[in-house]
Amino acid sequence: MNSDFILTVCPFCGCGCQFYLQVLDNEITGVVPCKTDEISEGKPCIKGRNAADFINHPDRLKSPLAKRNGKFEPISWDEALNIVTKQLGEKKQKYGADSVGVLASAKCTNEENFLMMKFARTVIGTNNVDHCARLCHASTVVGLAKAFGSGAMTNSIPEVEGSDCIFVIGSNTIEQHPLIGSRVLRAKEKGAKLIVADPRRTPIVQFADVYLPHKPGTDVCLLNGIMNLILSWDLADKDFIAQQTEGFEELEKKVKEYPPERVCEITGVDQAALENAARIYGEAERASILYAMGITQHTTGTDNVESCANLAMLTGNVGRESTGVNPLRGQNNVQGACDMGALPNVYSGYQSVTDGKARAKFEKAWGVKLPEKVGLTVTEMTDAALKGPLKAMYIMGENPMLSDPDINHVKKALSSLDFLVVQDIFLSETAQFAHVVLPGCSFAEKEGTFTATDRRVQRVRKAIEPIGDSKPDWLIISELAKKMGGKGFDYKSAEEIMEEIAQLTPSYAGISYDRLDNGEVLAWPCASKEHPGTRFLHKDAFVRGKGRFFAVDYKEPAELPDKEYPFILTTGRLMFQYHTGTMTRRIPALERELPTGFVEINTIDAKKLSIAQGEKVKVKSRRGEIEIKALVTDGIRPGVVFIPFHFAECAANELTGRNIDPEAKIPEFKVCAVKVSKGGKHG
Amino acid sequence: MVNNSVLVIGGGIAGIQSSLDLANMGFKVYLVEKSPSIGGRMAQLDKTFPTNDCAMCILAPKMIEASQHPNIELITYSEIEKVSGEVGNFRVKVKKKATYVDWDKCTGCGECTQMEVDGAREFEGEIWVDRVKIDEGSCIQCGECTQACVEENKEKHAITNVVFERRNFTELPPEERVGREPETLAQRIALMDEKSRMDFWQKELSKCIKCFGCRDACPVWVYDGAELEDAEWITPGEIPPAVPLFQIIRAYRIAGLCVNCGMCEEACPMDIPLRAIHQLMWRQPPESVFEIIPGLDAETKEKLVQAVRKQPKAEKKQPAAKREGRK
Repeated sequence: MNSDFILTVCPFCGCGCQFYLQVLDNEITGVVPCKTDEISEGKPCIKGRNAADFINHPDRLKSPLAKRNGKFEPISWDEALNIVTKQLGEKKQKYGADSVGVLASAKCTNEENFLMMKFARTVIGTNNVDHCARLCHASTVVGLAKAFGSGAMTNSIPEVEGSDCIFVIGSNTIEQHPLIGSRVLRAKEKGAKLIVADPRRTPIVQFADVYLPHKPGTDVCLLNGIMNLILSWDLADKDFIAQQTEGFEELEKKVKEYPPERVCEITGVDQAALENAARIYGEAERASILYAMGITQHTTGTDNVESCANLAMLTGNVGRESTGVNPLRGQNNVQGACDMGALPNVYSGYQSVTDGKARAKFEKAWGVKLPEKVGLTVTEMTDAALKGPLKAMYIMGENPMLSDPDINHVKKALSSLDFLVVQDIFLSETAQFAHVVLPGCSFAEKEGTFTATDRRVQRVRKAIEPIGDSKPDWLIISELAKKMGGKGFDYKSAEEIMEEIAQLTPSYAGISYDRLDNGEVLAWPCASKEHPGTRFLHKDAFVRGKGRFFAVDYKEPAELPDKEYPFILTTGRLMFQYHTGTMTRRIPALERELPTGFVEINTIDAKKLSIAQGEKVKVKSRRGEIEIKALVTDGIRPGVVFIPFHFAECAANELTGRNIDPEAKIPEFKVCAVKVSKGGKHG
Repeated sequence: MVNNSVLVIGGGIAGIQSSLDLANMGFKVYLVEKSPSIGGRMAQLDKTFPTNDCAMCILAPKMIEASQHPNIELITYSEIEKVSGEVGNFRVKVKKKATYVDWDKCTGCGECTQMEVDGAREFEGEIWVDRVKIDEGSCIQCGECTQACVEENKEKHAITNVVFERRNFTELPPEERVGREPETLAQRIALMDEKSRMDFWQKELSKCIKCFGCRDACPVWVYDGAELEDAEWITPGEIPPAVPLFQIIRAYRIAGLCVNCGMCEEACPMDIPLRAIHQLMWRQPPESVFEIIPGLDAETKEKLVQAVRKQPKAEKKQPAAKREGRK
């Protein structure tokens, strides 16, 4: 009998809690909290506690599958890789490299994302590589990079505890990042003030000193209003603005156009509350902004992010401990997948593909000519598939059939592909459309690293042998690459890939398995073997030199309610499920809590439509219609409805629209017009 | 110089008899006893060997004599710390433990031991409020004994040194308060009035994200599933779970088994002070820890109590007749 405890990283949200997997004779018997872990302190949330339950699920893919006559049949690895090689090779020859699209995964390790990016760029020869960060924090990566020079969380998670004022906007922190939520409450116990802006009454609202229930999509206006008040009360940090920033005059001019009266009219918040929030934030010594999807998933996502950056710079709350602008990344390794360059416009470490010098460096290292043109994003890939230029896709660990906006559109796009290969651990909704399915490994069966939301790189360790015939994703990619004639894919272990990452990526240069295994906590930028990592960014000076203010104007969301579709639909996540539910819906403890979705609707609206609690209703938008249970509550603004997007049987994304932010290409998940009516089957 | 006094250590029958003999011989006697009362083992016996005489019949007159003898000074609830000097001239350092009772004023009415504090009950044979002293380890400083003393002896009340009395901190305006603030959280909660206690739990328990960490970490939780996972009691998928129903059910389930190891609090990601619940539950029945269960009528509450409570109901102490009259 062999028993062991393997320290690894939670595969769910971006907090990056570490815990032990308890292994008995190559079988995982449970999760044991790790007391010495800095983030969880041995207190993981319910998802972490049950994280091991899906690993041995009977639904796990155990061998490669090929679709024949509409049915999946198990085939051998050789056969599967031969089909993929032949098909992708053919498409590349016939239609050019840009006819192939590749989706990397925020659920996979840094090493695998790096390989996927390398595979797309060297073997296929296209920059059409992206992943689901496009759907969550693309606007952060763009917006914060423009304002500060680095598109990541400026400070670390434990620092939240030391803030005087925490401004949570568009983040359901307690449900989605429980361990960050816990830090917020601790700060509050120590006397910090908490401001929450959210159209939905999420659990953190009850602890708020000031609650601003603004209308979805009016974030820029709200933030401009707060800045207007801070400027008029002379609470701005003039020294900081003068020494470290540029573009202040334009901003000053712009926010003058947002007096409180106008702001309150547009956003629907109470003027006294707005003034209160502005005073608390403006007067705080160490103020920290936490934001998430509520800011980013808009057609004005980049503007929203820039406004957050403006507010922080205006009051000098950047570059110091316990301050900053902190985007909370939703997935365990979405930060890492971005860092690794699984994006159409950059290589690892955000080195631009259009920059000749960076390209030359990667060409030299990899020994191939690299494409110059910026590739397609996730949202553009589905359009391209439908219109024709995109012929084949290789999707690793993603489920666009639930996560992307307007599922009916995605369905058409996926079915119109000539060839689709999906690499996943379960036969997801997307995998159903695949021609070939490759079985990957879960986090417990492979080595690698995840990068948490505060840029902390942590080791994922192998606890058990791969289930069935499945293989670690990095192995699959490198075998496929070798078969397709790719050079430089002879990796013996994940560690070798990390060495290559460190060589090519300045911000990861000092990160190695040796250091991580020695228990060092390394947050990038980590420039050399001696560098201790960086807990908070922009100390003394911004990464881009000077912080840039952007004067942004309030723009209305792309689709507003009208007579036919009178409600605003906003989507989001819940505590007990995770994203498209491929993993969490197979964990009994979580599925028991939340077996299916619901639509949250305000009591007043429900009364008008005579909808009872728990009744089945129809929710319809211009793109689709779903039948769903109603949850009548006071915790949401009248005129707004909320649907979680986890559930395939009542998928919120059947309704959402494809309007995207012009810069970040992020879809507007948070605002679309719908109508709600009685008349479900059981209604 | 030879001092004409004697120190007797130990107030059992031997100590008492020696003291009396010495006192009668004209020596000044200091009788030091570590427990609150003299009497020792003999006071616990029924009959004595070989005459089968009633033990108390022999002991009691001697105890009374010792306590009233002009030459005997009783130093009870005290311990010898240090003895120095030599024969004929010893110096002894005696540590007198605090009883919070002014012995000059105490009439021995016993009223302080009779009051019932939120259904205070015996725990493992140990009575919470002892006869003539307040046990600092057990006391939750509710102030009830002081109140009883004050009401019984209006002019000269004896329990004067209860520094954290409830009235002091809940009824008096801040500028008139005396003494230290309560130190432990359980003490603070016990001192709260009903409303603030409810607000306190409301605030703390609202932090719950239902991770089940408190339950999973508990070494005495042996129930499979139980009410916490039953949709009848706790609505699935709701955050925070019904306050304080979730924690009440959990607390009831382990009420008699809990050893207050603190693993529940350790496992709580939201830092809810769960230990305080169990600390209080040692002394009080669970329903009074939370005061009331909001939203539940008496019948449902009773049903809940019956359904989830494993051990028989603790016998409540019968309040003294006088006490009833006072209320």
